[in-house]
Amino acid sequence: MKRNQKNKTYSIFTLKMTICFLLISLLSISTSVFSQTALIKASGIVKDTKGEAIIGVSVKVKGTSIGTITDVNGKFSLTEVPKNSAINFSYVGMEPQSLIITGKGELLIVMQESSVSMNEVVVVGYGSVKKSDVTGSVTSVKTEALKSIPANSIEGLLQGRAAGLQVINSSQDPGAGATVRIRGNSSLRGSNAPLIVVDGFPLGDAGDLKQINPADIVSMEVLKDASASAIYGSRGANGVIMVTTKKAKIGKTTVKISQQVTTSEFNSHLDLWRDPVLMASLNNESRINGGFPAMYIGEVSSTGVYYPSIQELSTTWKTNTRWDDIVFRNSPISNNTTVTVSSGTEKTLFNLSANYYTDQGVYINDDYSKGGYNLSVDHNIYKNVKIRFSNILSKGFRNSNGGLAYYRNPILPVYDEKGNYYLTSSQDFSHPLAITNLQKNISNMLDIITSAALEWQIVPALKLTSQINYKYGKSVGDQYFPKVYTEAGTFNNGYAKINNWEGENLVSENFLNFQKAFGKHELAAMAGFSYENYTSRSSSLAAMDFVNEALQNENMSTGNPQKNIINNGFSETKLMSGMFRLNYTFDNKYLATFTSRADGSSKFGANNKWAMFPSGAISWKAHEESFIKNLNVFDELKARFSYGVSGNQGISPYQTLSRYGTGKYYDDGAWVTTIGPGYVAGMQYIYNIWGGIPNPDLKWETTAQADLGLDMAFFKRKLRITLDVYDKETSDLLRERNLAYSSGYNKMWINDGKIQNRGFEVTIEGDILNTKDWKLSGNFIFAKNENKVVSLGNELTSGLLTDPNTGMKFEYAGNSVSMFRAYTNILAIGQPINAFYGYKTDGIVQTISEGINAGLSADLAKPGEFKYVDYNGDGIVNEKDRTIIGNPNPDFTASMGLNVSWKNIDLGIFLNGAFGQQILNTQAFNSPSNQPFRWTPDNPTNLYPSLKDGRLLNLSDWWIQDGSYLRIQNLNVGYSFNLSHKSILSKARLYLNASNLFTFTKFKGYDPEVGLDGVYWGGYPRLSKWTFGVDLTF
Amino acid sequence: MKTKIKLFALCSVLALGSCSLDEKPYGFYSESNFFKSAADADAAVDYAYATLTFLEYSRGVFYLGELPTENITPKPDESQDATDLNNWNIPSFKTNTVLQYYFTYAFIGINRANAVIQNVPTGDYDQALKNQYLGEAYFLRAWNYFNLVRVYGLVPKHNSTVQTLEQTSAPLFSNLDEMYDLILTDCKKAESLMPVYTIPKLGRADRVAAQALAAKAYLYIASAKEHNVPLYKDMKRDITVMYDSATYFAGKVINDQTTYALDSSLVNIYDVEKPKGSEHIFTMSMDRTGTVEGEYSKISKMFIPYIGGATVYLDNKNGTYSATHDGWSVYQTTTAFYASFDAADKRKTELIVDKVYDKTGVLIAAYPGKILYPFTRKYIDPSFVGDKTSTRPLLIRYSDVALIYAEASGPTSKAYGLINAIRNRAGLGNLMPGLSIVDFRKAVYKERTWELAYEGDHLYDLRRWNRVITDVPEAASITEEQAAFYPIPQAEIDLNASLR
Repeated sequence: MKRNQKNKTYSIFTLKMTICFLLISLLSISTSVFSQTALIKASGIVKDTKGEAIIGVSVKVKGTSIGTITDVNGKFSLTEVPKNSAINFSYVGMEPQSLIITGKGELLIVMQESSVSMNEVVVVGYGSVKKSDVTGSVTSVKTEALKSIPANSIEGLLQGRAAGLQVINSSQDPGAGATVRIRGNSSLRGSNAPLIVVDGFPLGDAGDLKQINPADIVSMEVLKDASASAIYGSRGANGVIMVTTKKAKIGKTTVKISQQVTTSEFNSHLDLWRDPVLMASLNNESRINGGFPAMYIGEVSSTGVYYPSIQELSTTWKTNTRWDDIVFRNSPISNNTTVTVSSGTEKTLFNLSANYYTDQGVYINDDYSKGGYNLSVDHNIYKNVKIRFSNILSKGFRNSNGGLAYYRNPILPVYDEKGNYYLTSSQDFSHPLAITNLQKNISNMLDIITSAALEWQIVPALKLTSQINYKYGKSVGDQYFPKVYTEAGTFNNGYAKINNWEGENLVSENFLNFQKAFGKHELAAMAGFSYENYTSRSSSLAAMDFVNEALQNENMSTGNPQKNIINNGFSETKLMSGMFRLNYTFDNKYLATFTSRADGSSKFGANNKWAMFPSGAISWKAHEESFIKNLNVFDELKARFSYGVSGNQGISPYQTLSRYGTGKYYDDGAWVTTIGPGYVAGMQYIYNIWGGIPNPDLKWETTAQADLGLDMAFFKRKLRITLDVYDKETSDLLRERNLAYSSGYNKMWINDGKIQNRGFEVTIEGDILNTKDWKLSGNFIFAKNENKVVSLGNELTSGLLTDPNTGMKFEYAGNSVSMFRAYTNILAIGQPINAFYGYKTDGIVQTISEGINAGLSADLAKPGEFKYVDYNGDGIVNEKDRTIIGNPNPDFTASMGLNVSWKNIDLGIFLNGAFGQQILNTQAFNSPSNQPFRWTPDNPTNLYPSLKDGRLLNLSDWWIQDGSYLRIQNLNVGYSFNLSHKSILSKARLYLNASNLFTFTKFKGYDPEVGLDGVYWGGYPRLSKWTFGVDLTF
Repeated sequence: MKTKIKLFALCSVLALGSCSLDEKPYGFYSESNFFKSAADADAAVDYAYATLTFLEYSRGVFYLGELPTENITPKPDESQDATDLNNWNIPSFKTNTVLQYYFTYAFIGINRANAVIQNVPTGDYDQALKNQYLGEAYFLRAWNYFNLVRVYGLVPKHNSTVQTLEQTSAPLFSNLDEMYDLILTDCKKAESLMPVYTIPKLGRADRVAAQALAAKAYLYIASAKEHNVPLYKDMKRDITVMYDSATYFAGKVINDQTTYALDSSLVNIYDVEKPKGSEHIFTMSMDRTGTVEGEYSKISKMFIPYIGGATVYLDNKNGTYSATHDGWSVYQTTTAFYASFDAADKRKTELIVDKVYDKTGVLIAAYPGKILYPFTRKYIDPSFVGDKTSTRPLLIRYSDVALIYAEASGPTSKAYGLINAIRNRAGLGNLMPGLSIVDFRKAVYKERTWELAYEGDHLYDLRRWNRVITDVPEAASITEEQAAFYPIPQAEIDLNASLR
């Protein structure tokens, strides 16, 4: 308690200091005055190595505001240039040059194309630094390579593109997001997604940045270590992804059109019953083995469906419906059109990009579309004052029709004799066509992101940036479940719903950047403060019991007025921060960075409102030392070390406050609203979990991370290697503790528990060949992360379970899987998160005596059953024989890219893989590909059990499969046209891209890329996507 | 320079716009915005009543009150927890979820009642209303503690609302006297604060309910101490005073009001359409129009056997038939209990079903035969909607109080009059006159098993008479202590710092 108060005072003090510093800096600084010397004229022409003029090169006299750009002929002319001053020439993609002007005369400047420039700048949050001066672990992703791959949002494309960045595309639904992790999971109950920041605007969790057209993104930086991410304080613990969108360049107006058309197909066959005779006979066998009467015997079942006999199926039976042909589209088409107009003068840069994107799901009528624009204008209102403005609008539409029953029984017809949809019973809720045609499930989304910023170069060394960001998001969902064919509709006699949501996010940030060199000392500092306000508002309306359902949910007042359900909610969070960064460089060899952020969040408890996140890094550019230079090996040899603390404030708002609950009670014959202490904070099975006790001490999770890195470059930077080792420990995990039952409450949020992530990352990039005609480059990325649960807090208050054999403390996590009546994953101290926990098996029981000898009893000892292992050797197989049976976390991930071009043709291939993880395949014994191999007395296999309806299954290692995979993720072929200068077109490129071309894996399901818990639920095969694209620039 | 000043001013305004980090609750109530008015207090009292209806608590009425007794057995594949209770599997009780939930919800009810008791006095509204709400809250607190003491014996003592982490760990009552002090004091406060309703209010208690509860509690102490039940035998209270007090409060119920009386019709008492009958002193209020279980009742499903999954009809013995769904066969009547009824007893002939019919009165199943066991029709709702019914546990009914009076007072003429009225209503003759006090009380005890059969009270009669070990075959080898109280849940001991 006392400690907390001290923290609080300290933090407020820090913030006050920061604010004071800012104000004093602002007030005390005045403009400098430049003295002028003899003036001369300078003019010339800028060309590239091929001798072609370059248009739009920035020409600036160093230390002054004098400058221009080259015209269409590559020419420039400056008057009144101080004699002996330096002129800087810069152009994107070219090595900048500097020239001292001594006298008159035409200059010829030949600019070299930059490969991977040492002077490249990376965005690090509230500023940018030269790549060569980065002290933390920051990986830049050039999105140029990604633009031929169609995508709704950028994250899905980042898979395998940065070491330590794990991206999982487990859903293939149109418009679906991705799961993004940087250096493993560091939270159990809070968010694990990195913070995503677009052009300085922190937008929230990475994973679904659908508002930003990937084509508008020019670069991304992944901030991985504490030194880099601590500048985002209480939101930095999961790492940060900085996104920079395209800006116009100085020069004439260009119009660029990009068009992509994509079609997709399954990359493997559907595992469906094509032979009804086999299906029916196996079904009969399974039912008989389970003690049930066989179904396919040519009789009407209890639900009124006629199931033909095997005999009939193999002779006269006609119906063999291929439901997958009905349910799936043959070749879903996606379209992606982007038109960009950009123009720039010395004073104003203008970029407008419009996008229209449609995505057809693989299920019929499962659609997504969005359209929008991104406008950005930069204008110098004064020679040292610039304003930036951007506005992004994105409007989306989704018709959800996924999850249709393509696996429906093939002996069922689509229609009955009268032409109605054929149903097996009044509670048959899986007729795919009925659902497609009669159920409504659409949503409309709107997102607006607006940013306005002012950059004021107060003096050459000091710049003030003031930025206001606003984001508005809205979605409206319309649903109708008809009286027949759907569960909700049948039970409620028609069920209509409207879901509304709107969210607003306002961020105001002000910061000063200072940069100055004093002899061998270089100093860069940033100080600023930020205020953020987020509100989210939702409502839902439901009506049921409709007389006439023609209007679906269009007029919900026509439902039974007594059965309407109304819900609404609102939440608000506020975040106030002060941040500070100091970069110091000595002699361009020794670098040090100190970063700190103070965050005050409304979500934190009253006793812990303010948090402080300091970090530091040191770096040594050894290649600048003469003894390294003399080796003539390294073009770069830079060692980095960083240590720091960042946080995760992934709590829901209002968790620190006392909270009453509401309900209803049938009071003397009428329902009345009831209110009092304790509210339903969750459910466990059908039982309520009661919360409501305030925790004024609740605070952020704290992640302390140490990172040791090495950046190397060889052979004139043609070979570049980056190595990083890290150790990341997250403590004060946000968890719910159990409360004594007699308190009248079940749980409350506390900070307790610890997780560790350790790993290393290797990135190798090489420009292998670079001749006039041939270019060949490649990269290889390797990342290993080891994740371990260190502590789960107090054993009693956490209600931890004990493994009877090892004494291991654990709790269940993930989903309860009904087929096993068990949770699949556990969080166990000393183990990686989400380890699988269950029985071991040793093949199949062949004889009853073998079963009994193995410790099995009753039905479980019979031949054809799983031979569960008596793990603790006590002679009986029971729940005490469970142990850890698998780990869904990969041992390592790796990816490799290779790009080759010959003259105008380019070819790229990208491979990505994850290795060593295991998958719980819930579908391992229910498909045509496995059931025929069942155990029978005639086929006493050790691989599969007998078919038996109603078997009580135990979760065992039999269901665990190797999930390692290597995927040919992308293959890309392009052709760029040679265009004459007279052509209206300045650039033209055609390309063909193939995604998910092939996957090497031993996994038996459709695809091994499953969620983080490693549980595979079936679904449908991975889609291979074929994209044809055209880029035209006018 | 002017521009700079303007820009600077703009930046400052943008930056320092709004700065409080206090969180304002939105969309939910707390101490800060509640308990301001009489309507608030009314909603808070109902919140406390509603605790009783949660399935975690309401199912305990029968899982604990009936299943562990000799009268009921569960179906063979009923949950492990229920089977353990039936079999008196003592080691399992510390982690039995039925016992955990019953414990938790009694305390949820206590916490909600405590909130009313603590906050209502400060409100600025009519004193009569305040008295009503306070009286109900005291009654509910006593009711929940009485449930706890009957099931677990000594439990943690909470007599104010739990608002901080520190307050979640409370020590046990030091002895039963202290615990009954609280229960009886609350009953008396409730009695003095509440009026008697002129018509019973479904789901709300009045003065009579408080008197009845006091009578129940006094009788429990008296008979338990008399029968040397562990802990009770150490109580300081005097047995005779306890019997007299029970007689006194039961007498108040019988003599001092005109709302409640014996219902002349047995079937009427259990008619879900007549929940405000003269027997209904305190009833758990549930209705089939509710949306979650608890708001509606599935008690019928627990008592009725599975008969093909269809609607069946019960003979009303007057040429009409009442529909009901069939059930899950959970609470099965033992043959011994069925056989214990007198053949002429209407509580058997009219209230226990051994034949079901179709809509037109054609017999479709009978016991023995397709009906697994004879089942009570105390919980049927002819207007059931799917699994939803309005079948309600009768928590305190007039006949219970009449029999409490009889048992407490012994063989007085008033007592004979009450027990005979109940027997006569059931179609039986008068009890043998001139019984000794011991035999008379035994006779009342027997009468209670028939009259209050299936109503969730039998275990507690067994316990206070110290008869669990002798009467329940599954409990033959347990100790007196194990018979008298269930253990406090292990998790409570683990989580309550005051108990470790």
